[in-house]
Parts: sequence; C-alpha cells; structure tokens
Amino acid sequence: MEPKRKLIGEDGRRLDGRKWDELRPISLEVGLLKNADGSAYIQWGKNKIMAAVYGPKEVHPKHQVLPDRALLRTRYHMAPFSVDERKNPAPSRREIEISKVIREALVPAVIVEDYPRTAIEVWVEVLQSDGGSRVAGITAASLALADAGINMRDLVVGCSCGIVDSQVVADLDDAEDKEGSGDMPVAIMPNLNQVTLLQVDGIYTKADFQKAFELAIAKGREVYSMQRDALTKKFFSGEASSSMEEAESA
Amino acid sequence: MIPGDVITRGNHRYGSYIEKRGDEYVALRVGLAEVSHEEVKLNPLTGPYLPRADDEVIGKVVDINGFGWVVDINSCFDGFLPASFVFGREFSPATHDLSSKFRVGDVIGARIESYDRSRDPQLSIRGEGYGKVPEGEIIKMSPTKVPRLIGRRGSMVNLISERTGCDVRVGQNGVIVVVGPSEGIVKTVNVIRMIDKEVHGASLMEKVEEYLGGSAGGT
Amino acid sequence: MSMKKNYVVETIRKSQMVELLSKGKRLDERTPDQHRPITIQTGVIQKANGSAIVTLGNTEVIAGVKIATGTPFPDTPDKGLLVVNAEILPLASPYAEPGPPSEDAIELARVVDRGVRESEMVDLKKLCIVEGKTVYTVFVDVNIMNVDGNLFDATSYAVVSALRTAKMKKYVIENEKVVMKDEEIPVPVERTPVSVTLARIGDTLVVDPNSEEEGAMDMRITITTDDDGNICASQKGEASTITPALVLEAADTSIRIGKEIRAQIMEATK
Repeated sequence: MEPKRKLIGEDGRRLDGRKWDELRPISLEVGLLKNADGSAYIQWGKNKIMAAVYGPKEVHPKHQVLPDRALLRTRYHMAPFSVDERKNPAPSRREIEISKVIREALVPAVIVEDYPRTAIEVWVEVLQSDGGSRVAGITAASLALADAGINMRDLVVGCSCGIVDSQVVADLDDAEDKEGSGDMPVAIMPNLNQVTLLQVDGIYTKADFQKAFELAIAKGREVYSMQRDALTKKFFSGEASSSMEEAESA
Repeated sequence: MIPGDVITRGNHRYGSYIEKRGDEYVALRVGLAEVSHEEVKLNPLTGPYLPRADDEVIGKVVDINGFGWVVDINSCFDGFLPASFVFGREFSPATHDLSSKFRVGDVIGARIESYDRSRDPQLSIRGEGYGKVPEGEIIKMSPTKVPRLIGRRGSMVNLISERTGCDVRVGQNGVIVVVGPSEGIVKTVNVIRMIDKEVHGASLMEKVEEYLGGSAGGT
Repeated sequence: MSMKKNYVVETIRKSQMVELLSKGKRLDERTPDQHRPITIQTGVIQKANGSAIVTLGNTEVIAGVKIATGTPFPDTPDKGLLVVNAEILPLASPYAEPGPPSEDAIELARVVDRGVRESEMVDLKKLCIVEGKTVYTVFVDVNIMNVDGNLFDATSYAVVSALRTAKMKKYVIENEKVVMKDEEIPVPVERTPVSVTLARIGDTLVVDPNSEEEGAMDMRITITTDDDGNICASQKGEASTITPALVLEAADTSIRIGKEIRAQIMEATK
C-alpha cells in the first residue's frame, strides 16, 4: 500500500502553496440571475456555486403553511459535472443532510416572523466542488437573501478548518478534506457573534479543537468583509457585472 | 447599510427595516440610512411588495374560480377580486359569467380593500378609473423605488406626465402602465428605468428634468 | 412534485405583439427571423472534461461533459456511449420546482440528444477502446440557470460547444491490458449540429422566442441541421396544428440561420 502523501511540505506550505492560515482566493458577485428575486455567485478556490432566492411567495403544498412565519426551504444540489466522478443528478443522502444544515444555519438570520404564511426558497447549486462547498454555499445564500431584500438580523458567513498532517489549517480544499484527519465547517452571524452551523469530523485534542474553531470564526470574518464589498458593488456603486459570463472572465 | 450594520446609537424614533438592540439601531435590509435629530430611517433599495390596505395596485388576472378572479399583484400572495364586489350582492355563479367581465390575461387597476395576514388580499375596483386597463405599455420596477417615481405629493410623476404627454399610472406594487404617444412612452420608460437603477434620491429630480428637457408635450 | 403555475401573458402584451408583427417587428425590436445575441464561454468547469456557458438573450445554461470508461451495449459492441441530460434548476425560474425532471425537461433533453446523435456529431466508433469490453462513456449534463425562452436552442449550443472543446484521457493497449495515459486527446467531433426554434404568434413564425413570446405562442417547432444543410432532427411542440407549407418554411429558415450560428459556435470553440 502506498504511504499517505504529505499535504504540508517542509517549508510549511500546503500543496497549493498556502500557509496554514491562508484562505483560497474568493470572489463574490451579487444579482447575476435575472429571474431570481436575489442571487449571488461565489468562486471560492475551485468551488463555483450559485445561490438564488425566490420569495416571499405562496406555500405549496398548502398544508405546510406556518401561520405566524415564513417557511424557509433550502436545497443544496451538486451538478453532475461538479466532481471528479460524474454524479447522478438525483439528491444523495449527503446533499439532503447539507440542505438541512444550511437551512438551519440561515433561519436564525432571517426574520421569518415578518412574512407569515409564505415560503422563502433558497437554492444552492454547486457547479464545481472542491472542499468547503457547504460554507461557501451558506456565504452565497446569505448574500442572495440580502439581495432579495428579505429582512435579516445579520448576514451569515462560513469557513471550514481542520487538521492536516497533525496541524490545524484553515479552509481545507478537496484533497486536504479527503486525505486529512479532520474537517470542521463553521458558520456565524458576524455582528451578533452567534454560531449557526457547526459540524465536526475527525479527532481533535481539546487545544486543536479550540484553535480550529476560533480560526474558522476569524477567517469567516475576513470573508464577511468580502460579502459587504459584493453588496456595495451592486447597490451602492453602479458597477456590477450583468451575467455569469462577465463574472467568469473578471 | 447592509443587514446587521449599526446605523447609529442613542435615543431616537425609528421606522421600518430597523431593529433596536440596546442603544444601537441596526439595519435589517440593504438600503440608505437617514439620521436626523429625532428619527432614524432606512430606505430600502431592494425587497418585495407586501400588500397594504388602500394601496392602488395594477395586476393581471391569472385564474377565475366560482367566486371571483385571482389576480397576480407581483406580491407574495395573489390578490382576490370577489365577484360580489363587481356584480353586486345578487351575484350567483349560475346567473353571472365571470369571464364576461374580466378574463385571464386582463390587466386591471384595483385597490387593496383589506389584508389581514390570515387570508389573501381582497381587491376592489370601486371608484373612478379602476377596472380593466384596455391598453398601454406595461413596465415593472422595484416596489422600493415607487415612492421616488411618485415624488413628494406626486411631483415626479406629474413632471414626467407633463413633459412626455403620457398618462402614467403607478401601482404601489411596482407595476406601471403608460399611455400616450410612442415617443413619449419611450422617454417615460427610460425615466422609470433610470429611477429604478439610481441609488441616491437626492439629485434624481434634476437628472430627470435634464433628460426630459423641453416643455410640455415631450419634444 | 408540487403544482406548476403557468405563465400568463397579459392580453394587452399579446395584442401588441400581433400588431407589431404585422409590421415586421417584435416587442424587443427584433425582426421575426432575428435571434437574440448569443455568447459562448468554454472551459469554465476545470474538473469537467469539457464545459460551456451559453447565453441566448437572458436565457442562460451551462453544460458539463464528464467522460469515464465502461462496457458497451451488447448490440453495439464497437460503439461508445453518449448520454445527454438536462435539468431546469429551480433557481432558473419561479415556475421551476425541484424534484425529478418534469416532462418539459425530459423532452428538452431528448430533443437535444436526438440532434447530437442523429447528426453523428460524435463518432461513437472512435470511442471504442476494446471492442465488446471497454468503451468511453460520455455524459453531457446541462443545467438551466435562467429561463427566458428557447431552452432548446440554448441547451443545444451549450452541449455542442462543450463537446467540441472537451478532452479525454488517452487509453492504449499495452501487453493486452488497457492502460490510461496522462495524455489528453479531444473528443472525436465530426460535425456541428445547430438547432433553430421557431414559435408561431398569431400567423407569424418568429425565431428564438423569449419567455413572453412563448407565453403567447400557440405552436413551436425546433429543427436541427448539420454542416451540409441536412435536417437531422425536428420536434413540433404545443398542442396545436401546423400546415405543411409552414413546416417547409421553417425548415428553410432553420437551414439559413443555422449556418450563421454554426459559424459563431465554431469560432467560439476553436
């Protein structure tokens, strides 16, 4: 059997050249989809994810209506061509679980009580996946909700940290996620300082757990400033791109 | 402002789209804040139309059932125009054919008669000028920008009307119908798009005046 | 899957459409035989073997090609596999719902597949590695990102552009074993089928209908032509009739416009 390869070199650099606490390149664009009430496109490392929001709107089927608040519906879905082996378009158990945790990460931020008897739909479509897609999806989804003008207490932003070659690192890519020893996606509402998503897999010493957790939150705050820039670009400056094609070539 | 931003601190009256946390006033929507001595306001730059009683709306009939017309009013709920409001209390599905009055696809101007969050908004067409819209250019804008299109006491929409020679009918739900000479319609549509895109309301009147130029009649 | 609302076009708008058409114009200022601007961007999904984002006016679609190896069908032991799939994502339209593909999405995928297959765009025999045992399997999956009419043509251009720029790993036979090399070779593309869709509004056929025009149309016809001007696939849509003369008129238009669009696709996928 082949020995596991080293993911962090002698010089402390990871396979893609990053240091232990560096984020991959991230770009965010708000409002690219014309039909959706709100949308945001995120490129995070090799991840390419489009999030869209429709709503508030009528609830179908009617029996699911909540009398005093909006029903937040979320779907995280991966395109068949988004991963190394072509994926069957039907939802997998992993996608269903991720849809649920994304919904639960967003609900605390959305003032659902302002929209009783309605549905707010959040669609997260992963066009290319490379580790950390759920936190990237949440980051884009919260921008899409703001773009749609849904009342929110705060934005939601996420980042994944973990353990690779016994070291705590920030923002695992696909190889590090698969071959490393731990992954921890975390999402927060940055102004309210509340965690809305936390998942952990791997084995952490208490010290490493704390280090990874606090690192995820700190890095999340860095991404938050990018979310703010993206909203500013669309709403306060008149310079936004108008299509995915422009965003891809930017 | 973006959701979660602190607008100001202190002790003020505050309006919609703002939450008070301790002595902080926090924005809940993407928008522009206005802080004066006594009041904190947030003018949203995006968001849905939520029905309010007495709002004038322009909608399209999307369905007819036994008791009235279902009207798409560009909101989270479809509006409902009861047949009894139109045919009177003696209305009965057996004797009155609803599609003789309005059919699917018809555009109508109506008022929100009531909306109490426990059922869909009820519409009424009682009053001068309500009912079927027979012709005109239909254009949509963000409902959050409608107040700017109307202007203080109608100043903006009146200016547009005068300069273009068009009748401009504005629904609070962001749907507008423009009737008039084709050149006037083109100018009106351009102005509406300009207002929809513009971030700051301050210099809007000047920009529109400049674009429309000329005197009444729209040359 | 929950109920799908239908898109209702305002009667006023439909009347305006018909009136303008009598003067040879459409609501968005196009002439009846004009299509909307097409943009094609390839190589956008690096993990896929090939990919393309196509915009046709405001309709936006993305196609991705994934190539693996597998066993051939028993009745075609010397041919590789080609599968074309399409999904109208819920993010593309307020009328789209998540769940298994609707009959519209399935018709879309099958019509586009037919155009690609019947034109023999990809020589399936060249996808054979070991006859009867190992062949390439080529999956083309299309995600509709924004609906503004004419999904047929947008999807077709995306599939064709993605296939034309797709690369696959080279397999050779060494010591009677199939070995994958690092070298990448292009997918064996022989021809470039182009579909052109026309809708009837009132009495006029218009090319490349947008959503509103589709809401007002009573008949749609899609015709796919190849590089020699041959017709390789066609589909009439909507529950309505069409005269034989109009079918032939549509065929002529498709051949003519297909040629111009083919040139654009080939330029974008050099």
